[in-house]
Amino acid sequence: MDAVKTLGKTLVASPERQLEADSDLAIVRRVQEGDVAAFDQLVLKYRGRVYSVVYNLTSNREDAADLTQDAFIKSFQSINRFQGQSSFFTWLYRIAVNSTLTHLRKNRLRTFFSFEKINEDDKVSSEVIAALTDNTGADHETFARELQEKLNEAMQKLSIRHRTVITLFEIDGLGHQEIAEIMNCSVGTVRSRLHYAKQLLQSELQPYIRR
Amino acid sequence: MSDHPRKTTVTLEELLRLKRAEQPPAEFWAQFERGMRAKQLAAIVEPRPWWAPFIRIGARLSRYQLPVGATAILAITFLTVWEYHPTGAATTFEPAVAETSGMAVSAPASVKLTAVDSAVGPAMASATVVASGPAQALAAADVQATQPAATLGTSSHVAVVNSELASARYVAENLAAAQAADPQFDQMLGSALRGVESSPTRAEPLAQISVPGNSRRSRILGGVTWLASASTGNSALRLDEQATHHLTERRLSESDVVSRVDVGGDRVTVKF
Repeated sequence: MDAVKTLGKTLVASPERQLEADSDLAIVRRVQEGDVAAFDQLVLKYRGRVYSVVYNLTSNREDAADLTQDAFIKSFQSINRFQGQSSFFTWLYRIAVNSTLTHLRKNRLRTFFSFEKINEDDKVSSEVIAALTDNTGADHETFARELQEKLNEAMQKLSIRHRTVITLFEIDGLGHQEIAEIMNCSVGTVRSRLHYAKQLLQSELQPYIRR
Repeated sequence: MSDHPRKTTVTLEELLRLKRAEQPPAEFWAQFERGMRAKQLAAIVEPRPWWAPFIRIGARLSRYQLPVGATAILAITFLTVWEYHPTGAATTFEPAVAETSGMAVSAPASVKLTAVDSAVGPAMASATVVASGPAQALAAADVQATQPAATLGTSSHVAVVNSELASARYVAENLAAAQAADPQFDQMLGSALRGVESSPTRAEPLAQISVPGNSRRSRILGGVTWLASASTGNSALRLDEQATHHLTERRLSESDVVSRVDVGGDRVTVKF
């Protein structure tokens, strides 16, 4: 059991993540012992991040909501099998990503986009939109909408695996090691996919990139 | 006028940060919570399928893929070899039995066996031996039981011989009981066996089947032979008349046996 705990700790990247993983493990142990209500804490903690990943993979808010709920239900049903070899966060992400990839493969031909609004309070996004609209003189809101569509189109042109890597790394801010654990591949593969995906996005979004 | 400082460059990473800013409104999470609660309750209430425990067992066994796989391969290999081995022994068993029967025939015991009996097989040989006397039959059966086991040494052969021995003993016991009940049983049995031996041999069924072409060939050749015999004793004129009457050129040319017939003078030539 100690060896399992040690292995779980080595797979967590930073000390903050380590603390987070330990607190998650304590909650998971409570759920495993029968405290079903404790699972709500995990849902509240991770629903936004899981939803964000699934939404950026599907570009459809309704599908993203369903898939996020399914991921939490699956993790709840299988929580007795969770042994702490990885962090709960990684395990939950793996369930969500795998469910989403299965959904995308099943509905490969059905592409229907429905976007969330860009949060105007976000500092970086406001700066980017402002910089781009100053040159064109377009309305901010209209330009933001157009840019959002172009971004999603470019993302959908990536393969599912490349889209997953770019979503987890650039949008969700995970490290290479964590992405490798979630996608069940090597770190080198993650780096390679990331490089390729960035090259493709760069060529697709060239009109919006200013050097 | 914007409060944010002006940016001069926009990178791909910053463009992707826009995606991070795509957040659902607060009311979305209330709806999400309701849907989540309903699905959670449904998952708790829903009965698990009958094969769910097998998935759990499979998941636990997946940790031991290598030993389980190796054991399965070994088991399959062992079963294959085990199944193949008796088949190989059975193929070599047939001549061994025939040889053993021959040995039983040539044994010095007062056993009356014909060549047909020894060729038919050990069961028939045992029956004939028993007919001559129960004690001798037992002796012969014992010879059969010990000799193959010593020479072959296979378990299957010993099993067959043991079964023959048991049947021989059973017949011998019945015969002894019948002899005790009726003193004239030996004479009746002896006459019955002589009747069986003196009965005419049955013809081979395949020998009775004739080839369809044979009848036609014999019919045509019979006509030609008659012509040849007739030509030796009669005049040439009579021969010509009869030959043209009975055997025309057209009839012979239709046959695939006779390819060419020449009738001239006092001889008929048939070329095959």
